[in-house]
Amino acid sequence: MDADKIDIAIIDALKKDARTSFREIARLLKVSPDTISNRFERLKKEGVIINSTVVIDPSLIGYSFITRFGINVKPAYSAQVLEKIIQLPSVIVASKLVGSHDVIAISVVKDFPHLCGLRDTILEMPYVEKVEVGMWIETMELCPHYFLI
Amino acid sequence: MIETTSCIDHHMSENEIDKIDIQILRLLQGDARRSFKEIAKQCKVSADTIKNHYNVMIKKGIIRGTTIVIDPKQLEKKYLVFIGIQVTHPYSDQILNMVKRISGMCVVTRAIGRYDIEAIAIQDDIEKIGITKSTISDFQQVKNVDVDILVDKPLLCPKNFELD
Repeated sequence: MDADKIDIAIIDALKKDARTSFREIARLLKVSPDTISNRFERLKKEGVIINSTVVIDPSLIGYSFITRFGINVKPAYSAQVLEKIIQLPSVIVASKLVGSHDVIAISVVKDFPHLCGLRDTILEMPYVEKVEVGMWIETMELCPHYFLI
Repeated sequence: MIETTSCIDHHMSENEIDKIDIQILRLLQGDARRSFKEIAKQCKVSADTIKNHYNVMIKKGIIRGTTIVIDPKQLEKKYLVFIGIQVTHPYSDQILNMVKRISGMCVVTRAIGRYDIEAIAIQDDIEKIGITKSTISDFQQVKNVDVDILVDKPLLCPKNFELD
């Protein structure tokens, strides 16, 4: 088994269940647990693995729907806005964007007052010029392990 | 980490998650590989208690699983893109199904707002993004397609979901 294949196998196993023990992955790949551990640390260091996290069903803890915010900011201030956005509770994921918006944020929302509050909070952030809202209905996850929703 | 109790009591009845559940979720959100022993130490209860709470949350479906978030750019030199589609009304599920079948689609949804359908997809290269855009544009009833490319690595909220 070559180097890349081990990396891919580790990623595949952890994508399905981030709590899989290194010993178990090692046994499947017929390598030592230390190899898996070293590879895992390297993948994290290189930024291939960004994070490991628990996937919560938002509908069971009081959230109703998902909303996407398309945010336009003053040129060259995307990073500052992104940093603020990602601190908002309820925002699942956010990223810089190239296209019609500068920053995208995807958030879980409890109800309409909550949605309005989130929108206002983003609008009041320095450098934010415009916020566009898209509420998601009947959301289908086709590949849940790639993009965390 | 948990400061107010009145707020948690409210959640407990409404959402059936308690103080320990919240602490478990918070710790696992930051690092899903944390051991039950380590979580137990932080919550000042036994590891078995943590394990039981975790299993109950799995059974109830509150925890759907654990996963790693990878940067597709780093791994396969791929792009994550957001696709917003405007259609003429009334529109059928046909468009939705057509978009769903395009390779690389991660999330496809009906939407209320500027777009009628929104999607997030993984695409191999800029050329592929162009092909995907024209495939969608060619479809009858589609008025406009906007494609935005996510740059840098996507960030995850460190405390997503207001649990407490």
